[in-house]
Amino acid sequence: MAPVLTYSEEELVLLLRQQSQDAFSYLYKNYAGVLYGVIRKVVTDEQTAQDVLQDVFVKVWNNIGQYNTEKGRIYTWMINIARNAAIDKLRSKGEIMKSKIHSGEDAVYNVQKGMKTEQSTDTIGLKEAVADLKPEYQTIVNLAYFKGFTLDEIAKTLDIPLGTVKTRMRAAMQSLREYYNSN
Amino acid sequence: MNIKEYIESGILEAYVLGALTEQERASVEADMVMYPELANEVAAIEAAMQSFAEANAEEPPAHMQQQIWNAIQQSATQSVSEPQSVQEPKQQPKVVEIAPPVRPTWQRAAVWAAVAVSVLTNFMLLSQRNKTKDEIAQMTSQMDSLKASQQQVLAEYKKGRDMLVDTAMKTVVMRSTQTGKEMTGMMFWSKTTGESYLTIHTMPMPEKGKQYQLWVIQDGKPVSMGVIDNNLVANAGMMYKIPMHVKGGQAFAISLEKEGGNPTPTEVMAVGAI
Repeated sequence: MAPVLTYSEEELVLLLRQQSQDAFSYLYKNYAGVLYGVIRKVVTDEQTAQDVLQDVFVKVWNNIGQYNTEKGRIYTWMINIARNAAIDKLRSKGEIMKSKIHSGEDAVYNVQKGMKTEQSTDTIGLKEAVADLKPEYQTIVNLAYFKGFTLDEIAKTLDIPLGTVKTRMRAAMQSLREYYNSN
Repeated sequence: MNIKEYIESGILEAYVLGALTEQERASVEADMVMYPELANEVAAIEAAMQSFAEANAEEPPAHMQQQIWNAIQQSATQSVSEPQSVQEPKQQPKVVEIAPPVRPTWQRAAVWAAVAVSVLTNFMLLSQRNKTKDEIAQMTSQMDSLKASQQQVLAEYKKGRDMLVDTAMKTVVMRSTQTGKEMTGMMFWSKTTGESYLTIHTMPMPEKGKQYQLWVIQDGKPVSMGVIDNNLVANAGMMYKIPMHVKGGQAFAISLEKEGGNPTPTEVMAVGAI
């Protein structure tokens, strides 16, 4: 059943602080899909992704008391918890080290290949969204947001100057913003 | 500091994408406090990433919801140490030997007669039962379909009845505040648990871009209980559980707001005092 009542950011915080099962149901129904989607972009294995999703909900639930509205949107806060937990899992499994050891052409090829296979399973919405993103922009967004690479690591992996990484990030996000604002 | 250059450098994008080191992040966060333009830019980039995440949404398997709720409850009770259950030593049952009693012949004959009568009775009962078996089967299937069709109604009714039986459950009728417009909604609210249910009886469908919002008035101040989905307005008479729990208040109210709701009510449509 579709959610009957919807809550603003501030209301959601109050709702979660009630710690009731009703509050959990609301949280799960409205956010599990988005959080799981983010996790799955980081760790492709379904079972691992489900474990991470569970950890993320437990974390959100237990830390809602410490969440500070002034520090940004709760939505972003939750997405970041999901992303960080997934990247931590990836690191603990040593997968990320493997990709970091690769250098030059090989890494670029692998990363782009990875992006392509992921794209083919993406929703129509995303396909449209990244259609405008040049491959070199996609690679950078993917490495940073979904693989947890720092600017320095991206520059080394792709063998391009640090300044170029930043300008590409800016350009990539500009086109994403444009896309979502016009839709 | 040149804000424009700072923004165009791409460092804020790197911040949102999580590509900065701990030190760089702290410095961006400090700059955001100083310059609201930076904070606004970060919010805009984050909004784009949110839309991006939404476009990537993927439903986890259905069993996950219950599994996660169990995990949450376990994590809450983990700190409370469970009492060690004392293992009682299993007692061996005492065995008492019983010698078979010796019965006289007339007693054996009586038993055989009783068995014969019993078998005959059973046979008669069985044949009678076979006759009515078909009828019963027919009735059972009728009952089953009746039961199934009634189950939904019963569940709804039971919800309502439980609430009426619960003396802590209050019924609050919200009546129209707009002359000439007949609008009613009902709240069932339990003061002890804070749980509440909403039923819309008669409310016109809000025009496009508008939604109803539910409020509880606490010490003269309206506190939002959420924005009401239009499906609920369309399904008048159905009862819905409100996710937000309410511990106290003087009145419930429904107002008409822009889609997504407002922090304070603009046009109150119906009110009911608690």
